[in-house]
Amino acid sequence: MNKFTVLAAALGLVVSANARAEGIIVLNSEEASYSIIDAATRMEVQRLPIGREPHHLIPTPDGKELLIASTGTNELLVLDVRTGERRGMVRNIVDPYQLGYSPDGKWFVTAAYRLDHVDIYKTDGFKLAGRVFLDGLPSHMSFDAGSKTVFVTLQQSGRLAAFDLATQMLKWNTFVGEAPAGIVTLPDKRLLVALTGEDSIVVVDPVNGEVGGRLRTGKGAHNFWPKGDGRHFFLSNRVEGTVSLIDTQEMTVVANIRVPGGPDDMDITADGKELWVTQRFMRRIAIVDLATLKMVGHVPVGKSPHGVFMLKGTQPTAAVPSPLQSVSATVEPK
Amino acid sequence: MRDLIDAWVFVQDWIFETLVMPVLYATHLMAWDEPAFGAVEFVMLGVVQIIVIALGMRLFERRWPLERGTDDRLMRVDVVYTVLNKLGILPLVIFIATLPITNTIEYLARAWGVAPLRVEHIAPWLQNNVLVTFLIYFALYDFAAYWVHRAQHRISWWWALHSLHHSQRRMTVWSDDRNHILDETLVNLVLAIFSQLIGVQPSEYVSILLVGRLIESWSHANVDMGFGWLGDRLLVGPRFHRIHHALASAQELHIHDSNFAPVFPIWDILFGTAVYDGKRRPTGVDDPVIDADNGRGWIAQQIMVFGRFLSALVPARLKRA
Repeated sequence: MNKFTVLAAALGLVVSANARAEGIIVLNSEEASYSIIDAATRMEVQRLPIGREPHHLIPTPDGKELLIASTGTNELLVLDVRTGERRGMVRNIVDPYQLGYSPDGKWFVTAAYRLDHVDIYKTDGFKLAGRVFLDGLPSHMSFDAGSKTVFVTLQQSGRLAAFDLATQMLKWNTFVGEAPAGIVTLPDKRLLVALTGEDSIVVVDPVNGEVGGRLRTGKGAHNFWPKGDGRHFFLSNRVEGTVSLIDTQEMTVVANIRVPGGPDDMDITADGKELWVTQRFMRRIAIVDLATLKMVGHVPVGKSPHGVFMLKGTQPTAAVPSPLQSVSATVEPK
Repeated sequence: MRDLIDAWVFVQDWIFETLVMPVLYATHLMAWDEPAFGAVEFVMLGVVQIIVIALGMRLFERRWPLERGTDDRLMRVDVVYTVLNKLGILPLVIFIATLPITNTIEYLARAWGVAPLRVEHIAPWLQNNVLVTFLIYFALYDFAAYWVHRAQHRISWWWALHSLHHSQRRMTVWSDDRNHILDETLVNLVLAIFSQLIGVQPSEYVSILLVGRLIESWSHANVDMGFGWLGDRLLVGPRFHRIHHALASAQELHIHDSNFAPVFPIWDILFGTAVYDGKRRPTGVDDPVIDADNGRGWIAQQIMVFGRFLSALVPARLKRA
């Protein structure tokens, strides 16, 4: 592709803000920047700076804004979820590595990976309700459907911890396997936990943390992404260099897709035809065709790409005020 | 440029996925996979630096040597220092030794809600100027390194360690890494904490080290070269830095207490320690105990210099007694 095409693509994105509805955001965690990719041309059209070590991002429950966590500077960058425009910063969120909203939108939880604690905020007012210190490396989280409990994996100690959101008290903390990372709550309430230090995912009872089953997927099982039907999930296997498609009802691996270079976070395009997977070690994001379940291309991005998000206008899950509207004390307009 | 980056990433990924990650996985150390991936790049950068020194800089020394006919055997130990440093063996030891300290400082600061300041917070226009931001941090780092270097000369026990670096009579492009491991550890610790406080990002830190240490390797070259009147005031070169390594004489007892700046001479100019006289002087230290480092191997130097360091810790009045 020549320079003119690159320029034209970039201009197109600037001129037509709505065009970014098809944009894709990728966080370059070791470059302190995020890339914006034009889905149509499959090219990186902008690389914008952000604080330090951005790893994960999440849309707000009303679906209007996107929060990008800058772990090293203790802040969240707020973007318009449709256009990608910057709206402001939320300050004093300490080491926000992983982020999560409870399904009812009333709780916002962060896992401080390096500082070994989990922070539970009330979304209304965005005030810290409780900070719980844990051993060691809290990484991923999931919530129960009733928004009563948050489950947090502890990558270094091999444990999974459950906290009551209302009281911020520990409910249980059990060993589940080597280096647990990604976690999801299934519609039938079971928990699936990916073991990055092993080649499997385990089924965990949300009531007491007991491991009740195991499915071998690939070495370095790391993170999940829902296919969208409530039954199938994609799972990145970091060491194996594959993405597995899992049927959670039958507990079988439907397919293994070769995605080299440390596959990590994922998202599916608005039309549901492609899965995009960050390749941590290859500075690029892979494109998987969901009809053929084959990797069909990739887009070069920055160093150590981690979180990925499609700017497609997410559906609201709860009527909750924006952090920018609700917290004047900690938010500074950008 | 894109092809070069692609090739670099391909090699780094291949080394990591083929050689390193399987070992981490087998030894239950997958929680360390991201730092290990960064370490692979550090070693690769070290190999590039060794190639640049051995094939590029040495070419100038062979073609236009300043000192001819001196004993090349004295230089060999400096090659050992360089290889140990550039391939990450000594940095790994230093990293492990200093990690608890730097981590504790960062944990405390961030747990108290103190996040490192970025220059972009002060000057938002820098957000889209990566190169300018890098140069600002590079200059700030060099400013701190200038004062650390002055402390190495001023504090007696630190000079006991640092004098190893100055004892070389056959100064070449290999001499920059000739340092006692304790000296390297202290310097790294101070500069790493300083970098944390001013918000230098890990990738910027690696770039600063890479570019800075290459410039410093060149500034030790056995050539009588500079960058011109203006250039010598913007960037440290061999002619400028050789004065810092000059052997003291009766007329110039403290000649090595000048030209401290590692990369940017502006600090010497601002703080009155710059010397630009163009005179050619031999290098080394006018002290037989320190000069005895010449001819010793790496292990012997490390042991003897540590002894000097311990001796320097003993107050002078106790030594007299």
